[in-house]
Amino acid sequence: MLRTENVTKKYGQQTAVNGVSLEIKDNAVTVIVGESGSGKSTLARMLSLIEKPDSGRILLDDSNSDLISAKTDRRLIQLVMQDAASSLDPHQSARQVIDEPLKLLIKMEKVQRARRIEELCDMVKFPKEKLKNKVTELSGGQQKRLCIARALAAEPKYIIFDEAFSGLDVTLRRCILTMLKKLREKLETGFLIITHDLDTAMFMADRIYVMRSGNIIETLDRPKSFLDFKEDYSKELVRAAEYKRQALQI
Amino acid sequence: MIHKILRKPQAVIGLAMMLTVFAVMVFAPAFAPNDPEKINIMQKFAEPSEKYPLGTDDMGHCIASRLIYGARVSMSIALPTIAAIAVISVLLATVCAYIGGIVDRLFVIVSDIFMALPPFLVAMTLVGLFESKALSIVISIAAAMWVWNAQVVRTYVIREKNKPYIITCRMSGCSQMRIIIRHIIPNIFPHLLVLYSTGLSGVIIMISSYAFLGLGLETGTAEWGAMLVGANKLVFSHPELIVYPGLCILFAAAGFNLFGEALRDICDPKEN
Repeated sequence: MLRTENVTKKYGQQTAVNGVSLEIKDNAVTVIVGESGSGKSTLARMLSLIEKPDSGRILLDDSNSDLISAKTDRRLIQLVMQDAASSLDPHQSARQVIDEPLKLLIKMEKVQRARRIEELCDMVKFPKEKLKNKVTELSGGQQKRLCIARALAAEPKYIIFDEAFSGLDVTLRRCILTMLKKLREKLETGFLIITHDLDTAMFMADRIYVMRSGNIIETLDRPKSFLDFKEDYSKELVRAAEYKRQALQI
Repeated sequence: MIHKILRKPQAVIGLAMMLTVFAVMVFAPAFAPNDPEKINIMQKFAEPSEKYPLGTDDMGHCIASRLIYGARVSMSIALPTIAAIAVISVLLATVCAYIGGIVDRLFVIVSDIFMALPPFLVAMTLVGLFESKALSIVISIAAAMWVWNAQVVRTYVIREKNKPYIITCRMSGCSQMRIIIRHIIPNIFPHLLVLYSTGLSGVIIMISSYAFLGLGLETGTAEWGAMLVGANKLVFSHPELIVYPGLCILFAAAGFNLFGEALRDICDPKEN
């Protein structure tokens, strides 16, 4: 289990995350929702060990994150970022992107790696004929699938998706989310999805944390409908999501 | 890559100019119609003829032969100089900028000290240190110019290391050295190409300036800069003696500039 205990992060006078404690279960989808500036991405960066908290602890299977330094431990938490294009090295081909973690983290031989790359392409529905293309030659959807394939290549215990589905058109987002849902059932990997989109949260989540101004204000386990939200701020988010849906129908 | 170069007229023209300079440099004895050092006082200021295609200078040297051999001398100093500048500036700036913190601050302080000294002054101070004039020129120009290039490289590295893909590389298990060598340097490489190709033309001009100040190779050496200097007293009576070596310097510098800039566009994935 990946846990945070009273984690706080400040940038100057601004408190981005304020004493947050949460759990990300293995083999489950945890979602953090909240408006922009609520501290979700800061939390994601701390959980993926890119940034250190000012106070509090991040625990991976009860080991303190300060002790997680070896590559083998680092690979257990992978991050898929919002902007797929900028999170990929423009000089690499799609094959090189997936090959790197297989070679450096999993220590696979060349022949095995080639086979595994094809398997990963099938898993995320990435077209194999595009493997030789530079990442800049791929479409937005293909880049997103490539990022997910790269994360999966590291055989992580947890994958954090930081606003990874915003900016995609509705059809593509649905397609990628459905693929992830199926993958989740097959793999023993915990997903943490950071989003401001309640529909995505409801579609994917086993547990939802609602975040506001750096604090967790509501936790819902296996939510069935929007009516399960009790806090006023959460209801506001629900109303905003309904308004957006209506606007789209018009 | 070759296809991309051939499809870009700027690259083709630049490459052709560069190859011309290199071919002249390598095959100078085959191209030169006469011995460039041979003095023939009886034939001084001779008009262009079959024997002397561009005429002769005040000592009766064959101008064409001296220009052809001049490519060899100028380039054999300019190329090692720019190579030394490139190695020092890329190594120091990349490592310091990537590590950051106190190492980078120290680098900035040292750079600022070096940059406070005018490059020409540094070069002039160091130029007489070694017995070999050519080695002195290489070392003095490299010592004077590395810091200006290193500062530019540092800016590129800092910009690159803050891009999100570096986080992805770390997630993929890349070591710091691998990130520098396999990710940062290939991404700043197009900019380095322009920096050093334009730098090469600058070095060619600087070598010529040395000669102009009397700090270059021995007077009478068949080198473009030295030829320019030798002809300055004849600028009104025989302007062609200045124009010919000047055009050679311009041709070589423009060739490297054109090719470098075209290569940057070709190598930059965002341009493709």
